[in-house]
Amino acid sequence: MSGAVWRASRAAVKRRRVQTVVIGLVVFCSTATVLLALAVISAARAPFDDAFEAERGSHVTALFDPAKASAEQLAATAHRPGVEAAAGPFDQAVVTIPADWVGRPPGPLALVGRPDPASAPVDRVELLAGRWASAPGEVVVNNPGGGAASRFVGTPLTTNTGVKLTVVGFATDMSQSSGGWVTPEQAAALHPTGRQMLYRFTDAATEQQLTTSLANATEGLPEGAVESGQSYLVLKQAFSAGADAYLPLMTVFGVLGLVVAALIVGNVVSGAVISGYRHIGVLKSIGFTPRQVVTVYLTMVSVPAVVGTVLGTAAGWVAAGPILQAAFSGISTGTAVIEPAGWLPVATLVSVPLLAALAALVPASRAHRLSAAQAISAGSAPRAGRGLKVQRWLSGTRLPRAVSLGLGQPFARPARTALTMAAIVLGVVTVTVTTGVTTTLAKSMAAPDRSTHIDVQTSAFSENKIAPRLTPEQTTAMLHTTPGAEQVSVRGLVRVGILGQPQLVFADFYGGDAMVDHRRLNVVEGRLATGLNEIEAGPAFLDQHGLKLGDRVTLVLEGRQTTVTIVGKEIQGNANAITSNDATRALLTPDPHVVEYDVKLAVGADAGAYQKAVTGADPSLSASVVTPGTEGSVVAIQTFSTTFSALLSVVAALGVFNTLLLTIRERRRDLGMLKSIGMTPRQVVAMTITSVAWQGVVSGIVGIPLGILVHRLIVEHVRIIAFPDSMIDVWGAPLLAALALAGVAIAVLGALVPARSAARLPIAEVLHNE
Amino acid sequence: MSNDHDGTTRPDDAPFVVELSGVHKEFGDAKALDGVDLRIRAGEAVAVMGPSGCGKSTLLNMVAGLDRPSSGTVRVQGQDLGGLNENGLALFRRRNVGMIFQFFNLIDDLPALDNVALAAQLTGTTARQARRRALELLDELGVAHRKDVYPAALSGGERQRVAVARALMNRPALLLADEPTGALDSRSGEQVMDLLIDLNQIGQTLLIVTHDPNLATRCASRLVEVADGKVARERMLEASS
Ligand SMILES: Nc1ncnc2c1ncn2[C@@H]1O[C@H](COP(=O)(O)OP(=O)(O)OP(=O)(O)O)[C@@H](O)[C@H]1O
Ligand SMILES: [Mg+2]
Repeated sequence: MSGAVWRASRAAVKRRRVQTVVIGLVVFCSTATVLLALAVISAARAPFDDAFEAERGSHVTALFDPAKASAEQLAATAHRPGVEAAAGPFDQAVVTIPADWVGRPPGPLALVGRPDPASAPVDRVELLAGRWASAPGEVVVNNPGGGAASRFVGTPLTTNTGVKLTVVGFATDMSQSSGGWVTPEQAAALHPTGRQMLYRFTDAATEQQLTTSLANATEGLPEGAVESGQSYLVLKQAFSAGADAYLPLMTVFGVLGLVVAALIVGNVVSGAVISGYRHIGVLKSIGFTPRQVVTVYLTMVSVPAVVGTVLGTAAGWVAAGPILQAAFSGISTGTAVIEPAGWLPVATLVSVPLLAALAALVPASRAHRLSAAQAISAGSAPRAGRGLKVQRWLSGTRLPRAVSLGLGQPFARPARTALTMAAIVLGVVTVTVTTGVTTTLAKSMAAPDRSTHIDVQTSAFSENKIAPRLTPEQTTAMLHTTPGAEQVSVRGLVRVGILGQPQLVFADFYGGDAMVDHRRLNVVEGRLATGLNEIEAGPAFLDQHGLKLGDRVTLVLEGRQTTVTIVGKEIQGNANAITSNDATRALLTPDPHVVEYDVKLAVGADAGAYQKAVTGADPSLSASVVTPGTEGSVVAIQTFSTTFSALLSVVAALGVFNTLLLTIRERRRDLGMLKSIGMTPRQVVAMTITSVAWQGVVSGIVGIPLGILVHRLIVEHVRIIAFPDSMIDVWGAPLLAALALAGVAIAVLGALVPARSAARLPIAEVLHNE
Repeated sequence: MSNDHDGTTRPDDAPFVVELSGVHKEFGDAKALDGVDLRIRAGEAVAVMGPSGCGKSTLLNMVAGLDRPSSGTVRVQGQDLGGLNENGLALFRRRNVGMIFQFFNLIDDLPALDNVALAAQLTGTTARQARRRALELLDELGVAHRKDVYPAALSGGERQRVAVARALMNRPALLLADEPTGALDSRSGEQVMDLLIDLNQIGQTLLIVTHDPNLATRCASRLVEVADGKVARERMLEASS
């Protein structure tokens, strides 16, 4: 009899080719979506944690006053209760590099004397290029971006006190414990001003626990021995500040993808079984046991489900890498590697067939309980009683009969209709969110003016070190007098310290005509920092330092300092960057540290000629033409969200397609009858399309407000970008109308093919055979 | 019962409603119809009989425009069906033919009244008008009291009477029936037969396919016997009852 079961299953698969293909296709798309969704969710969740743990990152990087705590005393803190592991003490010295070096602006550089940390108990700094410092005079430079800068290995450096060093390598660590590393002997020779200890604590989940743990570890040291303690939680926040922009978006898309995929697979598979009830009845009447019937149906859906899962996993896996790359391309990831986790294919290979089996099992076990006669009659038509009032009422309306029949059809199978509609609703939500997010981003990136600019970079940024021919003042004058210039702005870039903060920040100082260049961020709250001792900063900076508009901080550079007021909040920006003006810069350093000039050209000016004239006047300058465009990270978000909304729309449309296919199969007889009494093919198409089009309309009515809500939630939770209301309210009437069409489009797209096949149904066959 | 014809029309000089000439139909290699010639005048009642698989239903489908012949011509009401596209055939059926089937083919989620009204509503008749006429028909066929009942709750005979009402909704020139009593018990079968006889009495042209000699002899004025896709024999029957 098992031979009979197998033969019946094979026949069932063969006779339902279209259904088998649809199940396979839906499972394929859904599996790929699920894999991508999981990849995105998992990658967005844990990259910092994974990299941090892999490096055995330090929970607290503490700096001690060497005059108050001896090396022996500090070494003993490693054995205090609560300390899981410790490294150090290491001498720390701060040197100043007076000129541009390895592609960076001049400024202070913190150096820690440390032996090769490859197997250190804490903070295993990761070497990116070159080798670790093994002799005095050698330095390994921290390259926080993570990129290998191997071409700079071998570069000599000279500090402002005349100490000569050679860059022998580049490295980075999630703990950001130092700007560079030298041998312990070299550090001792640099007149260290601090001693560094790196701790991992047993209790390190909260800021509070970290403070307590550090206090326990340093108990018994003289008062004031601890100068500062950098918490990994702050670093983690700074790191994830970039990811935070994307996290809500990706999580939403990921969850949407999972839900839609699950809904559709459930719908398709259970539908296949329900529409087979009549067939089940026949099998039972010829002596199949209930268990054998269930086996036939499980086999019938398992074949395409398994094939779809395997292919979908493969496709998702291939796509996951590039998609993640694109999605995270706007974020600095340190040493964290963004790649799809190895458990993902295992997860989909196990979970999707399980889901399919479950979806088949529920209706199959119902069929299991039905008697043969019940099954035969349950399969021929939906049970009477549901949705009949609606049919009745509709038939009395003035609508064309084909339309009112179509409107009533979905009420006959409310559960199937609900599942299908849920999928369309989620499709609409996705499209709405995508549209909203991309519109908001596009608005936020819209260049304030549309004129052509010439971006002139000084040798500070370029790699070929040609000595400048002109001084900054002369360059400014030259740019002004070269024909075509309308405005010339100057940007200086220096790393400055903030009193009381361990890390240096990048400060942009704008000067010249407009104090605005094509790179300058919009200020969304307050105003541009154009006055003396004024700065502006992005939301991530303010967040991380617990600052707000109107607060004051003290900037420190080369021994000078000045207290500035935060007058503006920029739309976005790095947690380590502030913006100010040239006058304020002059209070800190006489050198303008010009990295860039921005020339706004007059309308109609010859950009090419201007560019040539600039490099002719001073070959150390590199000039490029800038036409207003879109930023890379925006493009990344756009591609990413568009991919997802396209995928989900396709899956939703497939759901509609399948629902109709099933409905049409069940209603073949009715369709044949309608045609026999003179329903035209066009009326059949109208009826079929109507039956789903209204679901599309309703889905639009439900999905759009939901999508708007989700969009608002996302935008408000993106912490590194402060969107003003004007950018959040992107919903104009035309856009809403277009979105309303999305639901209908998804529904109609899925309905087209089945509608036409319904119209072509051979009447004679149907009416006489069923 | 309203009908263009009346009982006094003599079949001999009435116009032809159905004219088949040289109709062939192949399904792949199998020949379902192999050169059928058949003419039916207005007001006639013709019964088609023959062994299972001989091509009776196929013949009926040709006349109804539900299927097209492989060769040969089919004219109904003077109209060559070969000249019509799908859409044209649908409109043709709407106006000229009513069909009843062995298994009734009612729509399960519409009550009796709406099943009948449906046929008229397709042509754009308002729901109110269509329901009024449907009720008249149900009344004439003796099932008006069942108008709000869904097909599942009707007896076989009642279902077939509802189906007949639906077939008559658009006052077709030709009523086609494929085994109309095949699924009914003898008493219900009798009722349906009486109904068909009554319809023919007032001039309705009938083409009935059946296995049941009793049905053929009681209802039909002419018997066409089909074998192997051909008309094997034709004979006139005495007017019944
Ligand atoms: N759609 C079809 N595809 C293939 N063959 C068909 C099709 N319809 C009918 N046939 C074949 O054509 C022949 C005539 O079929 P038809 O249904 O007309 O027979 P019938 O006389 O009505 O039989 P019954 O009395 O059993 O209803 C049969 O051999 C049948 O197998
Ligand atoms: Mg037949």
